[in-house]
Parts: sequence; structure tokens; C-alpha cells
Amino acid sequence: MSGISRRKFLAASVAVGAATTLGGTKKALAAGSFSGYPNSMGVLVDLTRCIGCRSCEAACNKEQKLPDPNLPFDDMSVFDQTFHHGTQKRRTDESAYTVVNRYTPEGSEPIYRKVQCNHCAEPACLSSCFVNAYTKTKEGAVIYDGSVCVGCRNCMIACPFNVPAYSYSSAFGAVVKKCIFCHETRLKDGLPPACVEICPQEALTFGKRKDLLKIGHQRIQTHPGRYIDRVYGEKELGGTHWMYLSPIPVEEVGFDPRPGNEPIISHVKEFLGVVPMVLAIWPALFTGFHLLAKNQEGHGDHEHDTEHQHDEEGGQQ
Amino acid sequence: MKSLVELGVKPVDSLINERNDKRWSLMEKLFLGLSPGQYLGQALRNPFNWILGLIFAVGLPLILYRFIFGLGAITHASNDYPWGLFLGFGLFCMVPLSASGFMLGTTVEIFGRHDFHPIERLALLNGLLGYFFAVVYLMVDLGQPWRLPYPMFWSFGPAAVLFLVAWHVATYLSVQIAEVSVAFFEWMDWLGGKRFIRRITIGLTVSGIILSTLHQGALGALFNYAPGKVHPLWYSASFQWIHFFVSAIPAGLCMVIVVSTIIKKTMAWRCDDGFLDSLDRCTLGIAKGAAMGLITYLVIKFIGVAHDNEWAYLATGWGAWFLFEMFVGVLLPLVLFAYAIRHQVASLARWGAAFTVLGIVLNRLNTALITFNWKLYQEIPHIFEFIVALTVFAIYITTYRFILYRLPILYSWKEQPQEALAPEAVKAAPASTTVSPANAVYRKID
Amino acid sequence: MSAKQILTTLMMVLALIVVGSTTMAADMPEQVSLDTMVELFEAVEFDHDMHSELGEDCSVCHHHTTGTGTTDDRCISCHANSDELETVACINCHVSDPFSSEHLSRESQEIYQFHIDRPGLKAAYHWNCIGCHEEMDGPTGCEDCHARTPEGDEFYHKDATGSADEGGHH
Ligand code: SF4
Ligand code: SF4
Ligand code: SF4
Repeated sequence: MSGISRRKFLAASVAVGAATTLGGTKKALAAGSFSGYPNSMGVLVDLTRCIGCRSCEAACNKEQKLPDPNLPFDDMSVFDQTFHHGTQKRRTDESAYTVVNRYTPEGSEPIYRKVQCNHCAEPACLSSCFVNAYTKTKEGAVIYDGSVCVGCRNCMIACPFNVPAYSYSSAFGAVVKKCIFCHETRLKDGLPPACVEICPQEALTFGKRKDLLKIGHQRIQTHPGRYIDRVYGEKELGGTHWMYLSPIPVEEVGFDPRPGNEPIISHVKEFLGVVPMVLAIWPALFTGFHLLAKNQEGHGDHEHDTEHQHDEEGGQQ
Repeated sequence: MKSLVELGVKPVDSLINERNDKRWSLMEKLFLGLSPGQYLGQALRNPFNWILGLIFAVGLPLILYRFIFGLGAITHASNDYPWGLFLGFGLFCMVPLSASGFMLGTTVEIFGRHDFHPIERLALLNGLLGYFFAVVYLMVDLGQPWRLPYPMFWSFGPAAVLFLVAWHVATYLSVQIAEVSVAFFEWMDWLGGKRFIRRITIGLTVSGIILSTLHQGALGALFNYAPGKVHPLWYSASFQWIHFFVSAIPAGLCMVIVVSTIIKKTMAWRCDDGFLDSLDRCTLGIAKGAAMGLITYLVIKFIGVAHDNEWAYLATGWGAWFLFEMFVGVLLPLVLFAYAIRHQVASLARWGAAFTVLGIVLNRLNTALITFNWKLYQEIPHIFEFIVALTVFAIYITTYRFILYRLPILYSWKEQPQEALAPEAVKAAPASTTVSPANAVYRKID
Repeated sequence: MSAKQILTTLMMVLALIVVGSTTMAADMPEQVSLDTMVELFEAVEFDHDMHSELGEDCSVCHHHTTGTGTTDDRCISCHANSDELETVACINCHVSDPFSSEHLSRESQEIYQFHIDRPGLKAAYHWNCIGCHEEMDGPTGCEDCHARTPEGDEFYHKDATGSADEGGHH
């Protein structure tokens, strides 16, 4: 009798386990060796150039057909807005895929930082999505398919830059929203994004990511004292396609100064690696336990086996 | 109900109505063998029902409101705090508290500890309902709940931990339904179904272990996506999934103790002597298992702190909060369990279990909500969010009770009235002729 | 996106149209009309005469082209003694489409290290103007120089009236 059940069980576990988890692990592990599309595009944001005119916000609003803003895009009072007891500045949301914030470090001119999706090389949002709504395109954009979004908001948990927003106000079409690098309307046709194009200051430099890295380092080199020696996004979190040059330490303009160079997916790999092991070892282990226990019972000894309980705990950890 | 039983009314516990020697009809079974008037009377006399009624009166319209006006209308879930109480409590707390099914299933079916079998069905049911309502919470929380099957059939994101959770919870839910269905088949008198499940019990149990290990751990691994957002004391780069998995063991076990305590206090009429008499013994046995789990958990928690060298954080306010959680949720119950086991005081073990459950809930809320975004700002859920969470929990309790009242979970189903005369025999000698289905399974497997 | 739209968007790029043509100081234009971004802004009538009187020498604005040597550190390293160039208009070096694929691939192949990362026309102009205006207390606000068209008003949502604190922030 137990033979039959074991066989059935094995069949079931192979069907359930192999189909879903093993496949998944393979893909996840493969993601680590993915070196990115060599000719993909990016944007270098130079904070020393931005004057906080918010034209990029207006351009994005128009290009992405977002809802009308509450305040005009030339209203600079938004820079004084704070949220959550003064701790937070504006952030991206369902009606603004990009926002510009002002930082005023002591004894210095105000510095403006544009915030949008950074189009990570190995996006956390993408790897956390259980319906695979996100895609990293060969042009470098991280786009998503709202029509499969279930609305679990795991990508928002995962994104280290707190970028994806969610249409909380919508009851039936609630999906995640974020900057898509203007992929559909521009990037895939070789055009720069709307925000880049409008910027009067060329604070946003569009180009191949590898060229931008060169340019970034050259700017740092040829303008001693103008920048801190860091192209934020070159290595951070596995590299991003939107990168930043800053005149002051990045934590003073609202970045996490030490996000680590590992992409988020590598934090999860350890667990994903465990999955096939559990699938492979547990069935044999526990069927074995069962047979052992049965033998013991055969000796009429299952009323006092407290040791047994210990085995069980030990066996599962 | 208690007073009715005292008056000599006997709730349905067998196939045949002893009073007229006829089979109970489904309607009669649903009314527990009471007349509709009697049934309604006892329901109205129970003050707890009035509390439930009140919760539903407020909460159900709110749930409707949520589905018309969106999540934003009733929660403080935000772009910075995507997950609120529904997932923080509903998913991350309900699932570990439902680890009971696989734990007791393993103990009884795999390790052959048939002395725990009186409480096995309760543990299985606790597991099933906990998972089911975790999914209900999820449905309330998802943006487009009708797309929940997408990751199953439509659009696969197999590299995502949540994909694993979805698949495992779904398959495990079916496994648990199968496990609990034995009681349902007995009650409906569908013996074919029951025989089929009996045959695959071991398979079901072992797949339960695998699925549980993986998805309990996976819930922890979900937070590995947010290394910078969860406070380091609640985050461990290497051990997050082990922390979640190991803590789920005492959590599930203690939940059974807590539930059985409540049952003993409020539903004794529904339990048979086999259940009631063995409850203290089972409680202490389970407490022993839970204590082992807690010790392990405590150790690996501090290994986690040591491994990532987070000692400095202990001196901060967050550190105090962490130590509080560890003290109330782990150390205190450990002490209580140790004393209870040594001196065989089941009531102390019950307190220990209550604190463990509290500690786990606190831990999950801390990870998912309270310390989440510790670098940003703290968010307090909307009052409506609390009410809706409470309402779903009330539905959970109501369903739980509805099933306990009817299906042979707390009592053994008497297929033949005369066999019912031998409950003592059931307990004493599992190998002898018995009406207990689980024992029957065990015999057959042998 | 239709070709027309693309064209319009391209037009939005602020570009310099040099009315009085090129080269020698003698041919210096009196007025320069900047009118490519008429979609959002009226053309700017740049008073070249007035500005050339203000500046001590041409190289304050122009590079190594107009009789006086360049002042830019990066240029000096190679061009300290370079001859004047044929062309002097900004647009001759600072392209109006710095991010078009054609220009980007040209940039990619640029062999002179200091010739990559040249600002586009719009940026060159704004840097020059705003930088100097800041020092000389000239106008620096967008609309101090650019009168907005009705399309521009719409683009910037001039009529949005919501209050500051209902910023749709969740
Ligand atoms: S910044 Fe966030 S949303 Fe954008 S690609 Fe990276 S992880 Fe995804
Ligand atoms: S790239 Fe496009 S979508 Fe992204 S911020 Fe710029 S305009 Fe908006
Ligand atoms: S358009 Fe350019 S200068 Fe203006 S706010 Fe945006 S990035 Fe800054």
C-alpha cells in the first residue's frame, strides 16, 4: 500500500516541482551571468547642469498622456512640498513618471535631481514579478505589460529606487505605472526620450550606455572639483541605464550611498538555489523517516519515543 | 448550544439518527440535528455571534466599498508602503500560523506518533483554513484579483519568489483540501472518496512537507528583494528564508494549542471524550515540539545578527524593539514551555503558545510593515484597513466554527451506532477495531 | 507616432537660426532670431549688437574663431595657437539634434577625446546666456526671454489650479 502512495507522491512532486520551480531556478540563476545588451541606450543625468525648470516633467506628462497635474509645471512651489512630516520629497506616482526635487545643502546653491526609473541592467522589479509583466528591451528600457499585472505590488517592494507606482485610485484597472524610457513612442525608433529632448540645459545626456560611462568619467576628470568622483549607477545594484553625476555626495541628494553592487536578484538566488535541493532530498528523507517509524512501531514502541520528536525538529531545519 | 446539550439534545455525530433509526438528512446534519427554531435560538443566545454580526455590519460594506473605489479608498497602502495589513497580517501571519497541518501530519503519518492523532484533524483544518483565508486576504489586496490565476496558467514569471509562493500555496491548498476532505466524506457518507484519500495519505503528507518548507521559506525570501528596506535586525541576507521557515514550526504548533484551548472553553459539547481526555497530553507534546522549534529559532536569529555583524543596531531604539519581540515572542514562551513540560502543567503551555503566536505575528508585522522602510518614515494603517482585516478574520472564525460544529474534526464519526459505544477502546488500542479513520489509514498502510 | 509628430517634436528643440549669415566680424549680424521652438515659445530676437558691445571680446561667447584666442581650458590645451575658423555661428559646431541616432553614431566614432560630449545647440546657448546673466544680473527666468505661445501654456498646464498638498501622493 505504501508503495503505491510513494509512487503517486513522487509523480505528483515531479509534476508540481519540476515544472514550476526547477525551471524558475534555472532562469533566475542564468540572470546572474547576463551581461546586458552591449549597444543599449542610457541617460546620464548631470546634477550640476539641471536648473529645476521642470520642463522634463511637462514633456513626460504629454508624451505618456498622463492626467493633468494639480499645479502647472512652471510652478516652482512644488519644490517646497514635503510629505510624511517633512521627511519625504515628491516621488513618482501614477500620474507622474518623473519628478524633479530640490536639495539645498548648507552653503551651496540648490541642486535639483530628476527622479525616474533608472532602467537597471538587472531590474529588481522584473525579477520579482510573478507574471513576468516586465521586460528589459534590447534598447535598454525596462517596460511592462499592464494587461497581465495582477496588482500584487511586489515590484514596488523590490525596486531599490522606489520607482514603480500603483494606481491605487482605480478599482478595476489598478496596475503598476512607471517611466518606460519612452520605449514605445521613441526609444525603439532610435529617438531620445521626451524629457531628454526638452531639457534646455542638456542635464540629460542620451547615448549608448558604454559611451555615457566614458563621457561621465571624462567630465569628472576635466572639471576637477566640479563633481564627486562617482558615476552613480555605473556599478550600483548591478548597473543602471540612467546614471547620475553629482557635485555633492549622493546621500545629500537623496540616494542610498551604499546600495551595493550586487543586483537585487542575487540576494534571492541563495533561496532559489535551495529549492531544487529540497525537492530532491525531502521526499527520500521523509519517506525514509516514515519507514523507520513504522519499524519502531513494529516493536510496539511508539508511546515513549520522545527522542523521536527531536529527530523530527532536527530533520526539518 | 451548551445549554441545549445539558437539556439532553445530542448534536449529530453519526450516520443514523438514534431516535428514529433513520439516516440524518443533509438539512438535519447542517442544523446539527436541531430543529431550525432550536438552532436559531442557540445562535441568538450566543453573545459572540452578536459581536461577529457587528463586525460584519461595518466590515462587509467596507469590503464592497474597496472593490468599488479601489484600495486607495480604505487603506494607507502607498507607493512607498505597497503592502499594508492585508498582506502584512493576512498573508505573512496567517501562513506560518497554519503550518500546523503539515507539522501534525508529519508527526502522525510520517513519524508514526499516533498518540497525537486526536488533534491531527484539527491541525489539518487549521492549516487549510489559514491558507484559504490568506488567499482571501490576498484577493482583497490584489489590484486585479480576478487575474490571480495568471501566474498559474497565463503569464509565467518563474524566476520570481512570489511565483513559487503562488504555485505552492495553490498546490498545498489542494493537498490540504484532500487531507481534510476525509472528514467531509465521512460526514457526507461518501466512503469511496474517503478510501481514495486514505490510499494517498503518505503522498499527500510528504508533498505537504516539501511545499511547506519551500513556501514558508519563500515568504521570507520575498524580503530578500528589499535588502535596503527591511531593518537589518529583521533582515538576513543568507538566513531570511530559514528564519521564516523555522519560526513557522512553533507558530503552527502553537496556533493549534491556542485554537484547541478556545475550543475546550467554548465548544466542549462538540468534542468527544477521546479529544478532551487527550488534550492536555497532546498540548504538552506539541509544546515540546514548539519549544524545540523556538530554541532553534532563537539561536539562528542571533546567528543572523552575528553573521551580518548587526550588534550595534541592538543599542538603538529598533534594537530595543527587536529585543522586546525576542523576549515576548520567544524567550518568555520558552520559559513557560520548559516549566510546563517539566511539571506537566498544560495551562502554562497554553500561555506559552499564546505568547508564541503573538511573537510570530509581531515578527511578521515588524518585517513587512513596522520596520519596513525604516530609512523613510513610518506608516500607520488606515482605520478602515484594520476593520476590513478584522472582518476577514471574523469570516475566518465563522467558517472555522461552522466546520468544527459539523464535520468530525473534534469527535469521531460513528458510522455504525453500536461502534460508538467504544470510544475508550479507540484511544487505548489503535490497533484494535476502531471507528477512527486515521487509525484505519494507519492500519491499512501497515 | 506619425512622421508629423516626430517633426513637431524635433521642432521643439530650441535651435539657432543665424539670420545675418556667417564668418567675419565685419559681417556680424545685428539681430539673431531664434525661432525654431515656435511651438511652445515665440521666437527670441537676440540683440547681437548690444551683447557684442557689452562683452570685452568675442571669445567670452565664441570659441577660437573670432580674432581673440579661446579661453576654454580644454580647448587651449590643443588650440592655443590655432587659426581662426571659417565658421563662427554656434550651430556650426553645436548641432541641433545632439541625440539623433546619426549624431550619436558620429560621436561614437569621434577620435578626439575632447570633441566628444560637445553640448548641443540648445544647451550651448542656454549655458552661455544663463551663466553670464547670472553674473551680470541679466534675466534668467524662462519667460524673461521666451514669451510662451498658447501651446506652451497648455504644455506647462498654466491653468492647473489644484492645491499644492493634493499632489496625488500615496
Ligand atoms: S529603477 Fe526600479 S523600476 Fe526601474 S528598472 Fe530598476 S528596479 Fe525596475
Ligand atoms: S523617459 Fe519618457 S517616460 Fe521616462 S521620464 Fe522621460 S519622458 Fe517620462
Ligand atoms: S528639463 Fe532639464 S534642467 Fe529642466 S528640470 Fe528637467 S532635467 Fe532639470
